[in-house]
Amino acid sequence: MLTFTLRRLALFLFTMMVLTLLSFSLSFLFPGDTVINHSGQINATATDLAKLNEAYQMDKNIFRQYSAYLQHIINGDFGQSMASQSPISNEIIELLPATIELSLVALLIAMLVGIPLGFIAAINHNKTSDNAILSFAMIGYSIPVFWLGLLAILLFSIGLGWLPSSGKISLLFEIEFVTGIQFIDILLSDSPYKWQAFNNASAHIILPACVIALAPATIFIRLSRAAMIEVLATSYIRAARAKGLNFRQIIFRHAIRNALIQIIRHVGLQFANLVTLAMVTEVIFSWPGIGRWLIESISQRDYTAIQSGLLALSCFIFIVHILTDFIYAALNPLARGNNHGS
Amino acid sequence: MNLLDIRNLSIALDTPTGRVLAVDRVSLSIKEGEFRGLVGESGSGKSLLAQAIIGVLQDKWHVDADRFHWRGIDLLRLTIDERRALLCRDIAMIFQEPMSCLDPTTLIGEQLSETIDTSQLSGYFWQRRKQRKEAVIKLLHKVGIKKHSQCINSYPHQLTEAICQRVMIAIALAGRPILLIADEPTAAMESTNQGQIFRLLANLNQLKNMSILLISHDLENLTHWTSTITVMYSGQFVEAGSTEKIFNKPMHPYTRALVDSSTKANLQLPTKSRLMTLPGSIPILQHLPIGCRLGPRCPRAQQKCVSAPKVSNFHGHKVSCHYPLLRDPGKKEAVKHKTGKGIN
Repeated sequence: MLTFTLRRLALFLFTMMVLTLLSFSLSFLFPGDTVINHSGQINATATDLAKLNEAYQMDKNIFRQYSAYLQHIINGDFGQSMASQSPISNEIIELLPATIELSLVALLIAMLVGIPLGFIAAINHNKTSDNAILSFAMIGYSIPVFWLGLLAILLFSIGLGWLPSSGKISLLFEIEFVTGIQFIDILLSDSPYKWQAFNNASAHIILPACVIALAPATIFIRLSRAAMIEVLATSYIRAARAKGLNFRQIIFRHAIRNALIQIIRHVGLQFANLVTLAMVTEVIFSWPGIGRWLIESISQRDYTAIQSGLLALSCFIFIVHILTDFIYAALNPLARGNNHGS
Repeated sequence: MNLLDIRNLSIALDTPTGRVLAVDRVSLSIKEGEFRGLVGESGSGKSLLAQAIIGVLQDKWHVDADRFHWRGIDLLRLTIDERRALLCRDIAMIFQEPMSCLDPTTLIGEQLSETIDTSQLSGYFWQRRKQRKEAVIKLLHKVGIKKHSQCINSYPHQLTEAICQRVMIAIALAGRPILLIADEPTAAMESTNQGQIFRLLANLNQLKNMSILLISHDLENLTHWTSTITVMYSGQFVEAGSTEKIFNKPMHPYTRALVDSSTKANLQLPTKSRLMTLPGSIPILQHLPIGCRLGPRCPRAQQKCVSAPKVSNFHGHKVSCHYPLLRDPGKKEAVKHKTGKGIN
């Protein structure tokens, strides 16, 4: 298990290296002066520029420049936003947790809905319920997320008035910023209206999370259906039947775990897709997350923000990827002893 | 009394070109305490027959039989669930490739303990856990695994093929079965391990009076262990009788060819001459010959063989052939009289 952890850590470090290399090279590729792209100080005076050139070692060779850039990033200095002239690291710390919260809730909904539906479809293979679930998956996968978001607002917020259409929480509640993840902050706060705030925040998150979750849920339906059909055809399931176990015992003790192993590997992959969907949805539901911020930065040509936002977001996706790898290893005894990198 | 009595069991598969009989009217009976072998080439429907008996065939196979009795109970009258409940209690099965028949993500101990029925345990529910563990250890000892704690805490991929097969046997024994069906239990195993597994099965048969149906393609090896043998060819019943009779005085041309093709029979052959074999190979499922399926390969085939022969009984030695090999001229007449069939 230790080697497994070390291997994942090494993978993480090297991937981060490549990612920083990419964002470093972006500064050269974006229009404008490289050092200004690095730091985001568009209104710098001549003395400031000299200082920045010194700090980013722009007069040295490219390797020294890269290591200077790395040093800045490790110290948490992403430069400042070209548009607002405030430090990007502060903005990321404020906005990234909201995206994490939204995408994790969406992932949870997608898994909780998609995987059991897929299992039910596989158990009733080639029957009406299987076909119904598959057609639902097909339709759900084909609906574009921005259209679905607008429809959801139209129906549930405007038409029925059940759920709020924008924001994280009603402005009436004042929640102190601790972790940035709304639910944890609410639980940590000592406001007398804690539970009202909690309900309000849940009402706010349901609609965007469901909109994001639909497409990944349909993918999980197909994945889990295929995995379950495969597992049910294996000889150990036949042997379990010959042992005299009943159907429920076979499904719950043997089939589900083996099918989950095959699905868990794909969860990490699907997560990147899900974050992309979350970025679009954040714009529609004006969710104060990093996705909306990033899209705004793109339209404002805020190169420093684009660079650092990409770095932060991909780092987050990669961490989730590694976490799913660990869950996979915990579920699958065959993966733990595996010495080949995968 | 017969433990298991099957008459004319057929297994069919629907294909785009119509229904194909993979197993064609095979009869099989097993007495209490019998060690019966079931021999046939690969593709002759032995495994299908075994899986049909225990009821774990996939849905695409259609099984029907004229008679299917288990200890005097007519199973054809029971519903599928009742039948499975009855059979799973009394019959256990071990498969070829034991490694793939154990759940790769569950510990051996768990897989063993879930087969132990609660009715076998006495005492209150807080004692059950301990009792279950003791029962598991006892089972492992029974199949000759001494390092029980190590075995309980390992996953199937951490054990060798032979140990896995022992675990499978232990799982099969957990239900205290009356009949154990072993479907090529030693396929892809080294010969020393093969011997161990067969000895274990023979011990169970002799000491516990457990009936065993051993499926194999190796007639010569089977003769060391079994008391009676049934031979199948391409889904048809060929011959059944005591091991000694089958091996020494086979009546069916196919059994004759099987015995002749064994290494022991070929010892006297001069060097660099061809070994004795039947010409041709087993027909594929899509192109089965009509009548006796051995027909095109049979050295004794005549025109009559295009219709399937009836089973004739020679003092408990059953053979399904129009022209059985008979050595004793005195018997010939009796048979002719009894079955009313032409004998050459």
